[in-house]
Amino acid sequence: MLSTLNGLFIAAVLAGTPLLLGALGEILTEKAGNLNLGVEGMMFMGAITGLAGSYYYEQAVIAGGGSPNGILSAAIALVTSFIAGAGGALIYSFLTITLRANQNVTGLTLTIFGTGFGNFFGEYIGQQAGGYVAVTDVTKKAFSGLNIPVLSDIPVLGPLLFRYNWLVYFAIIAAIIMAWFFSKSRVGLNLRAVGEDPATADAAGINITLYKYLATVIGGGICGIGGMYMSMVTTSGVWVHDCVSGYGWLAVALVIFATWSPARGMIVALIFGGLTIMRMYINIPGLPAQIYDMVPYVATIIVLVVTSMRQSKEHAQPKSCGLNYFREER
Amino acid sequence: MKKKFISVLLCAAMAVTLIAGCGAPAAETGGNEGGESSSAASEGIPKDEIKVGFVHVSDPSDMGYTYNQDLGTQEMQKTLGLSDDQIVNKYNVPEGAECDTALRELVDAGCNIIFATSFGFEDYVKEVAAEYPDIQFCHATGYQAADSGLDNFHNYFASIYEGRYLAGIAAGMKTETNKLGYVAAFPFAEVISGYTAFYLGAKSVNPDVTMDIMYTNSWNDPTVESQVAQALIDRGCDVISQHSDSTAPATTAEDNGVWQVGYNNDMIEAAPHASLISPRIDWGIYVTEAVQDVIDGKEIPVDWCRGLEDGAVYLSPLNTDIAAEGTQEAIDEAQEKLISGEIHVFDGPLSGVSPEGEKYEVPEGEYYHEQEESSAPSWLYIIDGCNVVE
Repeated sequence: MLSTLNGLFIAAVLAGTPLLLGALGEILTEKAGNLNLGVEGMMFMGAITGLAGSYYYEQAVIAGGGSPNGILSAAIALVTSFIAGAGGALIYSFLTITLRANQNVTGLTLTIFGTGFGNFFGEYIGQQAGGYVAVTDVTKKAFSGLNIPVLSDIPVLGPLLFRYNWLVYFAIIAAIIMAWFFSKSRVGLNLRAVGEDPATADAAGINITLYKYLATVIGGGICGIGGMYMSMVTTSGVWVHDCVSGYGWLAVALVIFATWSPARGMIVALIFGGLTIMRMYINIPGLPAQIYDMVPYVATIIVLVVTSMRQSKEHAQPKSCGLNYFREER
Repeated sequence: MKKKFISVLLCAAMAVTLIAGCGAPAAETGGNEGGESSSAASEGIPKDEIKVGFVHVSDPSDMGYTYNQDLGTQEMQKTLGLSDDQIVNKYNVPEGAECDTALRELVDAGCNIIFATSFGFEDYVKEVAAEYPDIQFCHATGYQAADSGLDNFHNYFASIYEGRYLAGIAAGMKTETNKLGYVAAFPFAEVISGYTAFYLGAKSVNPDVTMDIMYTNSWNDPTVESQVAQALIDRGCDVISQHSDSTAPATTAEDNGVWQVGYNNDMIEAAPHASLISPRIDWGIYVTEAVQDVIDGKEIPVDWCRGLEDGAVYLSPLNTDIAAEGTQEAIDEAQEKLISGEIHVFDGPLSGVSPEGEKYEVPEGEYYHEQEESSAPSWLYIIDGCNVVE
């Protein structure tokens, strides 16, 4: 029983991490008043470029007669996936902030574009490779569970807390930094002002365009890293067609579930991840799998209903989210 | 007001001319091609005039089911010497109304024979086939052709359960915990027949073996496949097999230091330390035969199913670096016996439960005649030793 619960907890953390990364990126974006529905697309872009970065780095080193370094390979995947996600978000930013195009439509288009981008280049690299796009053992090892001396060997607690892949810790640290950033730093408070009421923030001398661009682009980069998690951890550095397959949308749902709070995001990502894999660990006889699969979404709807009933301003979507700011309309 | 009216009128006029301009020739060509194929069905069609259509649920980059189907198409194209524009592929067609559209587009493109390769396409194929009696429609993995009363609607499949049985031998010899895990897509006959055969293969060399089965409820969802594989490994399974498209179960097995048996494609390249072997289907044999039949003006069989004997089912090379000693010999021996008819995959005595929860038995000395009467798998029973986790 205990080992089942441990297994459930570990699987929940692993299932929740890509969702947490996607949600963190989207929280940062929405705090600046931009509703970017392109999370799925940016995750696809990050998934393929992260894998491609590692793959081509390894191929280049092997072709040169050397042996690739796992840590460097992982770092390259991190940087390339961030750039790709940020690039997708930059397109979105230019269209919505500079050209003031409709945010919903632009976001949806970015999702379609990113999905095609990921699958196209995945297939292209696969054809060049003449089969699977697969990284070698060093990179696979760099993305598998860590083995921290002493800590990982603690009975029970070791496997529960200290044996995940590094992206899990990366996501947690990112969430903590972001929580601090929004509540304690001047820049973070300015950013929230931009998201709540850009006209007032503008009057206070905050550069709206700069804030919106930076938040959206960095948020997109974090989404890209979430996508890289899918291709490097979930499928272990092998390109699988349609590998993100809807998890970007789950991340958007998670933003609502977390009520736009990065700190709460960590907990709800764990709950959300746990609910999606619960049926594999806890079996209630006679309960169909489809019911289990519904639970995370039912939970999201309940959170939406409860937060709207409480009418708490702090736990609501930033007020100007989804609306483009046009100075002349003030 | 007057200006507005005139502009509306002008727009309407333009729209009408556009529709007339584009619509008429399209309708004409459609009609012509229909006429051509009607005379051709009985007399055959010259090889350089035949057009072949395919509807696929994914595209070859899935490196799994559709990739394998596409290899068959390429084999047919090479054998018959068809040019690229004689083959029309519709990729990434969902199992819904989009299939109907894709089929009709292929008809409009002048295809004489159309292959639909996913289970969920069948109802749409049946409907369109009834409307176009001069065009041949072939549906893979389906079961409705024989009862449909249509001469131009056919089913085909390969007896993949034989390949799974042989692959099961590799798993049965490798397992140390005597517990296998199976990542299964849906509780359909095709899947249940497959994992039961896999289990029986393992049991034939390892009588103590049991197997846990978990469904993903999707043909291709790498995240869920990986999670299900992890859950099975957490339950103590040390050889994972799959009826799902992606390599995620293979790489998850590798990450956990256990082993895996694939499907559709040789997965050794993706997980060199885990993937033992994969049963595969050679779709090219049927596709080539069926297209040749249309060229010759012959009738295509209503139900087509071949197996190991004809090479329609085969195994990818064994990963000898990790397979247990003597695996290849054991597989070869069993393959000979299966082909000669000395043993059958579903040989009695077998006992289990039916989908209705009733007791089901195959008595000693008899065997279940899987895929003999129709090309579609029909085994639906969960036998003792198989544990469906849900």
